[in-house]
Amino acid sequence: MDETVAEYIRRTVLKIPRGEIKSMLQKWGFLSEAQLQTINFHQMKDNVSQEVVHLCEENSVDIKQAAVLDIIYNHIYPNKRMWSVYQMQKTGEEPEIFDLQSFKKKFKRRLLSALGNVTINFREYEDNAIWIRVAWGTPYTKPNQYKPSYVVYHSQTPYVFISTSVFKSNLPLLCQALVVASSYRDIREMELRSHSLNSLKDIVFKRYSQYFQTHCPRPIQDRSEEPESADLRIIRENKSEKERIQRVTREIFGDGPQPQLEFAQYKLETMFKSDPTMEVLDKKEPFRCLVKFSSPHLLESLRSLAPAGMADAPLSPLLTCITEKARNNFKIKEKKSSFPEGFVSP
Amino acid sequence: ESADPQKTAFLLRKRWTLYSVTPLYKFSGAHLRDYARLLSAFIAAEKQKGLAVEIGVELDIKVAVSCLPDLKGSDHDPAAILVQLLSRSSFSKNSEDKLIWSGWFCCVSGDNLLEKVPEDFTWLPLFLANGAESYTSIVGSWFQKTFDCCFRRLAISPLSLSWMAAMWTGCKVDKTPSAIELIFSVPCLPQPLDISYAIHPEDAKALWDTVQKTPGEITQEEVDVFMDCLYSHFHRHFKIHLSATRLVKVSTSIASAHCDGTIKFLQSKYLTGVLMLLTELAISQIQ
Repeated sequence: MDETVAEYIRRTVLKIPRGEIKSMLQKWGFLSEAQLQTINFHQMKDNVSQEVVHLCEENSVDIKQAAVLDIIYNHIYPNKRMWSVYQMQKTGEEPEIFDLQSFKKKFKRRLLSALGNVTINFREYEDNAIWIRVAWGTPYTKPNQYKPSYVVYHSQTPYVFISTSVFKSNLPLLCQALVVASSYRDIREMELRSHSLNSLKDIVFKRYSQYFQTHCPRPIQDRSEEPESADLRIIRENKSEKERIQRVTREIFGDGPQPQLEFAQYKLETMFKSDPTMEVLDKKEPFRCLVKFSSPHLLESLRSLAPAGMADAPLSPLLTCITEKARNNFKIKEKKSSFPEGFVSP
Repeated sequence: ESADPQKTAFLLRKRWTLYSVTPLYKFSGAHLRDYARLLSAFIAAEKQKGLAVEIGVELDIKVAVSCLPDLKGSDHDPAAILVQLLSRSSFSKNSEDKLIWSGWFCCVSGDNLLEKVPEDFTWLPLFLANGAESYTSIVGSWFQKTFDCCFRRLAISPLSLSWMAAMWTGCKVDKTPSAIELIFSVPCLPQPLDISYAIHPEDAKALWDTVQKTPGEITQEEVDVFMDCLYSHFHRHFKIHLSATRLVKVSTSIASAHCDGTIKFLQSKYLTGVLMLLTELAISQIQ
């Protein structure tokens, strides 16, 4: 057996948390149940992976079969990768019935004719998601299995989620292959990126609940608030303002959990406006800034800003439009209208 | 006054951890070789006790203590002192010494702020270290024991960071300047939030130039106006009050400083200028 395949399998198994190795190998299905029984999964991972490699050698595993294990790993742990969202555009004709075999054939043909040395794997999942793994080589070198690109395509939608390897130069070819294979006309990047693949799907497929359910309001007792003091001389300061902030925040963000994004970035090319009495900068050119918000869970932290007193309520539409516009990378220019506070995002 | 860029180039582009140091008793610039020898013995003894950092690595540590005469603000400043730890692997006799840790004491334009320092004392209030924390600890202990001084981590307050932002924005840079970046932290939320606010250097400088009234002089009021302008531009877009958050880092072409008390010098031309500011912070932390 090829040594590189053995090494690849060894390293892939090492990535898997010990408690998950057996179930992942079962999902892979390359080793028989009888073979799996012979492995001691309680020993050090180094030894477990060596045993797996030996069994794979017995079965004469090839790289394509080994790559399937990698897909399974990434399908269970997608959040280790950074995903970008792309949208494909149709020509405006009647949507064709999706033919999986035709898609795979055309996709492979496009990449193989351009590069020759690529390893391509497909795996279908229940929610109409097609996972595609591509390991890239060149006409002169074998594919690099350690830096593959991943594509998740929901065939009933025009959306594609791509996690590229470092070889960004392969991205145009990948996009081309997708468009050709799925019979779309074009593909564009949506300026939406995150580690949380499911959150990206939530945003793009509109699976989150943004709006406050007015038809079934939460009873007041549900909210955890400080109990009213028995002593009438003690009142809560700014009670009505606090309640207004809570209400407005709820109207914008809804009651449910937010999709998980790690950042939002804004390239500002707006004018600097100041109090005329301050005698500061009054240029006719934009005040160029780049603002980036980062958080383990950005939308949840933004939601808490106004109630914490750090921001006005309602929060700026630049921040609250993220899920609705399905983007977290913006370029903001001054709106040329009589409404000076408006911004336009191209 | 700027130091010879060649001699100070090795100080640039490294992250230095900052400390304030109380005066050193009976320290003499004439005995640097002796100090190197004594410190070397001390480190070897600590290693024997098992307190050294690298486990399983046989490091033969050599100590070099030297003088950096160029790092001064005025003639009254005592000369800066550099301590370097070098390692030579005991396996390869011909290999060059590898620098594994550096630390230097300095005082730049301290005479404006220092009260008369009594005889027998040398005051180099600012200490900068780069390298493993355990080595900093060992070197620090030796100095504390030998010269009866005290080291303390130097924190940089958001107020001082704003000063740095304003001052460094105004500096002219030869090459293409990088953005003025301010980093704010909002930790006390259910999910922490970091905000990076980077302004194009030309635009930031244009703003600062209209705020600063007297050349060569900066007032607290001017710094406040500059920061308020930046905060209100931000608020106009995002409705967030940056003044309610915590400024934790400032990065410009000149230098980058973090509130934890670390600094990175990026321009030799302004090295002494930044050191002057840090000396001031160190002295006020001690007094």
